[in-house]
Amino acid sequence: MSLPDHLKQLRRNARERYESLPWPTKTDEEWRRTDPSLIPSIPADWEPTSSGLKAGWDLPTQDLPSGVILTDLETAVQQFPELIEEYLFQSGTPEGLAKFVALHQALATQGLFCYIPDGVKVELPIKTWVEMVQSDGAVFPHLLLIVGQGSELTLIDERRPAADGTTPVLSDEMAEIFLKKGATLRYVHLQRWGPSVTELFIQRALLEQDAQLLNITIGLGGRLTKAEIETVLSGSGARSELLGILFGSGRQHFDFRTLQDHRAQRTFSDLLYKGALTDDAESIYAGLIRITKQAQKSDAYQANRTVLLSDGAKADSIPMLEIEADDVRCTHGVAVGPVDEEQLFYLMSRGLPHLEAEQLIVEGFFDQVFKRIPMEALREQLAAEVRHRLIHHG
Amino acid sequence: MGTPLLEITGLHVLVEGKEILKGISLSVEKGQVHALMGPNGSGKSTLSNTLMGHPKYQVTQGKILFQGEDLTALKTDARARGGIFLAFQYPTAIQGVSVANFIRTAMKARFGEKFQPKEFRKELKAAMASLGVDESFATRYVNDGFSGGEKKRHEILQMAMLKPLLAILDETDSGLDIDALRTVSEGINRLRGPSLGILLITHYQRLLNYIEPDVVHVLVDGRIVRSGGKELALELEAKGYAPYETAKTEQKETVPQ
Repeated sequence: MSLPDHLKQLRRNARERYESLPWPTKTDEEWRRTDPSLIPSIPADWEPTSSGLKAGWDLPTQDLPSGVILTDLETAVQQFPELIEEYLFQSGTPEGLAKFVALHQALATQGLFCYIPDGVKVELPIKTWVEMVQSDGAVFPHLLLIVGQGSELTLIDERRPAADGTTPVLSDEMAEIFLKKGATLRYVHLQRWGPSVTELFIQRALLEQDAQLLNITIGLGGRLTKAEIETVLSGSGARSELLGILFGSGRQHFDFRTLQDHRAQRTFSDLLYKGALTDDAESIYAGLIRITKQAQKSDAYQANRTVLLSDGAKADSIPMLEIEADDVRCTHGVAVGPVDEEQLFYLMSRGLPHLEAEQLIVEGFFDQVFKRIPMEALREQLAAEVRHRLIHHG
Repeated sequence: MGTPLLEITGLHVLVEGKEILKGISLSVEKGQVHALMGPNGSGKSTLSNTLMGHPKYQVTQGKILFQGEDLTALKTDARARGGIFLAFQYPTAIQGVSVANFIRTAMKARFGEKFQPKEFRKELKAAMASLGVDESFATRYVNDGFSGGEKKRHEILQMAMLKPLLAILDETDSGLDIDALRTVSEGINRLRGPSLGILLITHYQRLLNYIEPDVVHVLVDGRIVRSGGKELALELEAKGYAPYETAKTEQKETVPQ
């Protein structure tokens, strides 16, 4: 595939960065709780021998409004070079994962591209997915999503496992989301990778003035996930609601970091992440709220709750604040603990076996996240997906 | 008379290393209502939790037979599916789980294949109506933000739906005003019948004005000190528990000030 020159240049630069940056060590703050030696080392000139990924989508029953583009990334690179040049790899880099952003940029060719021009409301949700087809060591999915001024979109974006999901594979993924002035996006990332996947997941969402983002992340699959989810509120009045659900079993390991980056006044962010872990699964959540001097009169909230369903499960939660403005409202709270014994006893006293009682409690625990999803059909679909994992894990 | 519904003999129970029940024996026949009365700290709630198999309550001696079968090795959920029901004194809240979902799940567990999902809504609606509970109750989260009266109605609602053979009602009258007490008692009386045995645990006699017991037991300091007919409750109302507590009181008085 021939790439436009600017992209070739970006890739060359990325490759050089990747090669010059050191491999992270356990003394790096970012990697203190996830052993970096568990991340497979991929050479920057690595060439896949198979297709690796397949991107697909279900369109709503009615036609998409004119000007809306939804296609795979390879096609977009060929057909919409100006948009690609303007947006691809332009959302910024989380510092702690710079090396893996560089690797991603050097090698990513596959994924999804979605562009909504100004003033277009896409009424019905669009479903997209990236499926692992045949893994031969590494995949680099990319999502590039642009919602124009005053436009509106709901996108449910799923990661699906390979049919033969036993070969170890690295997924080094990046999602870039651009919301123009007054744009509204409801975005669901539903991660259902297979159990042999080691995942790096970097998401950057940039919100202009009065843009609104509902960003729902559901982490169910993978052996190890290191995720960095960043929302930059760069225009005044921008609002972001960040919801997360994690369920881990076996020896799954989740390391989620979030950034609520307030850079303009009267911006708002509200984060709620909930996790449930069983067997020997573990999770780390570290959330940073940053409010710059320019971001007066902003509100930022953050809450993380994890319930441990076994003695072997472990969770750690680290809230962080960096506040330079003096006229802001900000709260954060974390809680980690086992299932409430009195709740268990109450449900079991009504005939529910231990496991079923626990599942019902966890479903209720997650419901507080789900009930904040405004679309009922979507809420039920996601709840069913999580319920399925709760019942059939391990 | 055949096998009693519930037969407790010489029951000793430890809670966190401390002996609370010190040899209790009682026997409840099908169709009977037994009232177990006693002052605070006498072990009433310990008995109800033990009967339901709460993991914190350890049976060190004695037997609990339910329909002739030894319960002590059975887990809480198995006891419930077998037809034992405990109406909690302080039912716990479970956020995110609606009353309807909760009761449906419990009925599936209790009745298995005999559970009729199509009839469920109708049945629930009727049971709520007869307890004077608003329809919106079904969509509320279990005990979450319920008033004292709502919690107790919710317990009796579950009892009506789960049709137990043995119902243990733990201080179901506490925290109820007189109107709520009447509704809840009527709800319980409607469920009375030849196949249901009830163990009514209460501090006060007033509940027994509404639900007439066949037998009254007085529990003091982990022992049943007296059993009798319903007139015993009236005697307790008049004289209090003091006559039964003399021994304990005297002990207390010897403690230097």
